[in-house]
Amino acid sequence: MGAPLIQARDITLVFKSKDREPVTALRDFDLEVGKGEFVSIVGPSGCGKSTFLNLLLGLIKPDSGEMKLDGAPITGPGQERAMVFQEFGLLPWRTVRANVELGLELKGVPSPERSARATELIKLVGLKDFERHYPHELSGGMKQRVGLARALATEPEVLLMDEPFAALDAQTRDLMQAELLQIWQQTKKTVLFVTHSIEEAAYLSDRVIVMTARPGRAKEALKIQLPRPRDYEMRLTPQFNELKSRIWDVLKEELTSRG
Amino acid sequence: MKIKEFFAEHRRLWLGLSSVLFVLAAWEMLLTYVFPLNPFFFTKPSLVAVAFKEQVIYGALWGDLAVSSKAFLWGFSFAVLLGIPLGALMGWRRTAGYTLDPFFTALYASPLVALAPLIIVVFGVGLFAKSVLVFALSVFPFIFNTFAGVRSTDRLLINVVRSFGGGEKDLYFKVILPSTLPYIVAGARIALGRGLVGIIVGEFYAASEGIGYAISRFGDTYRLPEMFASIFLLMITAVALTEGMRKLETVLAPWKTTQETR
Repeated sequence: MGAPLIQARDITLVFKSKDREPVTALRDFDLEVGKGEFVSIVGPSGCGKSTFLNLLLGLIKPDSGEMKLDGAPITGPGQERAMVFQEFGLLPWRTVRANVELGLELKGVPSPERSARATELIKLVGLKDFERHYPHELSGGMKQRVGLARALATEPEVLLMDEPFAALDAQTRDLMQAELLQIWQQTKKTVLFVTHSIEEAAYLSDRVIVMTARPGRAKEALKIQLPRPRDYEMRLTPQFNELKSRIWDVLKEELTSRG
Repeated sequence: MKIKEFFAEHRRLWLGLSSVLFVLAAWEMLLTYVFPLNPFFFTKPSLVAVAFKEQVIYGALWGDLAVSSKAFLWGFSFAVLLGIPLGALMGWRRTAGYTLDPFFTALYASPLVALAPLIIVVFGVGLFAKSVLVFALSVFPFIFNTFAGVRSTDRLLINVVRSFGGGEKDLYFKVILPSTLPYIVAGARIALGRGLVGIIVGEFYAASEGIGYAISRFGDTYRLPEMFASIFLLMITAVALTEGMRKLETVLAPWKTTQETR
């Protein structure tokens, strides 16, 4: 696999606020992700897993530690990374198409190219008939497709996904997971996926990182050696269930240690 | 069947229309058959209609309306031009917000028409004084609604734009402005009503022309049908302006209006 694409070492981040005690969100967090790898992070609520994505995105800076992407330190938002947000983050005054074009627009991509790129991605996520709709006219699943298309439009190397399917109903979530896998296989992106769901993590990933309770550290990394392409039926195999219970065993201690 | 369908489809229109007609008819009947009308103290729709026709076709009401409109437009335009940037500034910069807030809140809360005599003493009778009064009344809804709009901008959307490398300018024009626009239009609707109060009160106090002056002049001389005719003309104008504002909202914020009708 060569040198890892993402390298985070000894990341510590403390949230300080005037009226409250400082909260250490992450302490000495280490993570390496290889190019093209699909890595999920699971952990108890508030362990800093979403915060870590925001660090990687470049929206916030760690108090100490270093983060590198392809060997270069991360100093702010950049072309190579794009985020899919849990609450979609679509601009309500923009149509599907205009939302997909947002990232390209902000990067100064000229209009004809933008439009061609958007057309392609809208098709990829199956929203061809909805490109003139506004977000409030879409279902949750469709909104997140727009979010995914918008992130992919800028052709990032790394896709950061912050509990992207948590706001969706169970069936839509299953559907979106399958589609994400398909898109991932087509586009060969490196994906860092934060989730609450052990099943989701096991189903999608090459590797699952379990984090400790706050302050978050990487507690254990589990390789998911299931054949690809994976399908829904795979989730019913004993092998899959065994993997799930292994992840659960690691995570459980963290949950119980907090009461 | 056809007729039934027609009524079902245009229910809002015919119900609204017939209720207005009913009230007018009841008013007319009451003062014709039940309490004979004393034209010094009240009037009835048929007389108002005649007066309206005369005043609007031959009379000076259009001229009065034009005079009032001019003052209104000046005052309202300055309210827009000053109110929106001030509100935006207060929303963006905490310091500005905290510093200006007590003054604006006090002024917004108090009935500023009380200032009419003062404004007339300072600026005299005429266009300028009236414009100032309209401005004073209508600027605050713009300030406070813009302020509220800017402050309630979704943090997530700010982060989205930043995550794609958007700078300060992108935040203003791609997130804050569009998300504030519906608040501004809503403020404009409130400002419209307050501005109209300003113009009428200004003309009640001191004026020699204008729709407010017409109302008070006809009232003083017991020409109630003409007075009502003036009031109706004012009402029609106000309704037209409010509806225009609503149309403007559908143009400026299509995502908002489709949301409401659903």
